[in-house]
Amino acid sequence: MPETKKYSEEELVYLLKERDQSAFSYLYDNYSAVLYGIIFKMLDNRELAEDVLQEAFVKIWNNFSNYDSIKGRLFTWMLNLTRNLTIDTIRSKGYKKQSKIQNSDNSVNTISDNTNTAESFDALGIRKHLTLLKSDQKQIIDLAYFGGFTQDEISKKLDIPLGTVKTRMRTAISELRKALKN
Amino acid sequence: MNKEDIISSGLLELYALGLTSPEEQMQVEEGLKLYPEVRQELEAIELSLESYAQANAIEPSADVKNKILAQITTGEASNTHTEEKPKVHHIPGEDSKLLHQNIYRIPLFFKIAAAAVLIALIYSVILNYSYNIKYENVKEELTDAQKKLKENQQAAVAMKDQLNVISDKSALPIVLKGTTKEPDALAKIYWVKNSGDVYVDPTNLPEAPAGKQYQLWAIVDGKPVDAGMITTKNGIYHIQKMKSFGHAEAFAITLEKDGGSPTPTMDQMYVISKI
Repeated sequence: MPETKKYSEEELVYLLKERDQSAFSYLYDNYSAVLYGIIFKMLDNRELAEDVLQEAFVKIWNNFSNYDSIKGRLFTWMLNLTRNLTIDTIRSKGYKKQSKIQNSDNSVNTISDNTNTAESFDALGIRKHLTLLKSDQKQIIDLAYFGGFTQDEISKKLDIPLGTVKTRMRTAISELRKALKN
Repeated sequence: MNKEDIISSGLLELYALGLTSPEEQMQVEEGLKLYPEVRQELEAIELSLESYAQANAIEPSADVKNKILAQITTGEASNTHTEEKPKVHHIPGEDSKLLHQNIYRIPLFFKIAAAAVLIALIYSVILNYSYNIKYENVKEELTDAQKKLKENQQAAVAMKDQLNVISDKSALPIVLKGTTKEPDALAKIYWVKNSGDVYVDPTNLPEAPAGKQYQLWAIVDGKPVDAGMITTKNGIYHIQKMKSFGHAEAFAITLEKDGGSPTPTMDQMYVISKI
């Protein structure tokens, strides 16, 4: 995925396990925007999202020995770590207070309100592929991938059967895969 | 589960989204280890999701990177490796929220020192305890010794009094001899003439039976006058001070009931003397 490819993922992982700081700098340059985009989508607060981003990268650095490339891609691991950290922030008292002051809604609404955010970015020219996604598929991917909601929670929130949640998810992902191949 | 089952089950999609249960996660990870095809399929799913995430990317402020790099650099310098909360060092203008997450590590030296202090403390407590037991024992012995010394001193004082009486030049020793009732009985009286004090030494009187007591009488103008009770109980046979008489013709000792009688029981007279 990184546009100016300097390291392969394998090299990058190797160097990071060796605690190479220039590799970490490269990691930040290539992944900070996409992680920040997700955090911002969940929190809807620039300053707070930057705090969480900072915390996430420090944690990625400190816990890098926990990453196991057999279990998935580096980005998936970083995203899960970042998402969990963001969810912790949402559940913390400070965030609740802040979101009240801002007259903001809860995280679910934040996500569904911002489902069109993708349209305002044209990173890597992917936007045109995303239009292939139906809005209901998009909604499920957003809730699961960005919101950290479980299938059960999504099923209750959207008031659709669990089986439907699974089907839509798979369809959405296969649409994304088709889009990538084009 | 074989590789086709894993791929067609939809578990890989859930896994990539972070939605699998712990059991499902174990199944998927097992498949990933065993089959390269499963690994490839997962990678394709992950890449598709990454591209979606990439479409939502937003550039954060430029200073965030510097903050992070400063944080990990200082973290490396002190060789800390925290799991949950990273060590944060102060950077001017940094959000104070993160500063509260500082973890102050205790150097190994202090841990060892603390352990040593603890061991010393435990040792000291044990010593204190054993010394305290010894102290209690010694204290008890000392009390016993003091008690004995006091008794000895009292005995010494009593003996000195007796000696004073016996050696007093003005003390007139009078021997009371046994009567026909008790020919072997013997008592001694020391009569200090200038003061009139009368002391009796009952050493050679037979032990008084239970409920009975010896009583000393002075014969004044032909009549017996009570001169006091003699203690012979508990084996105390020492010189005792009796009532004082300026003038008496004779002394006698009779066995009376405990506490004495107003007049002597004549047939119970043990010893008598004439002056």
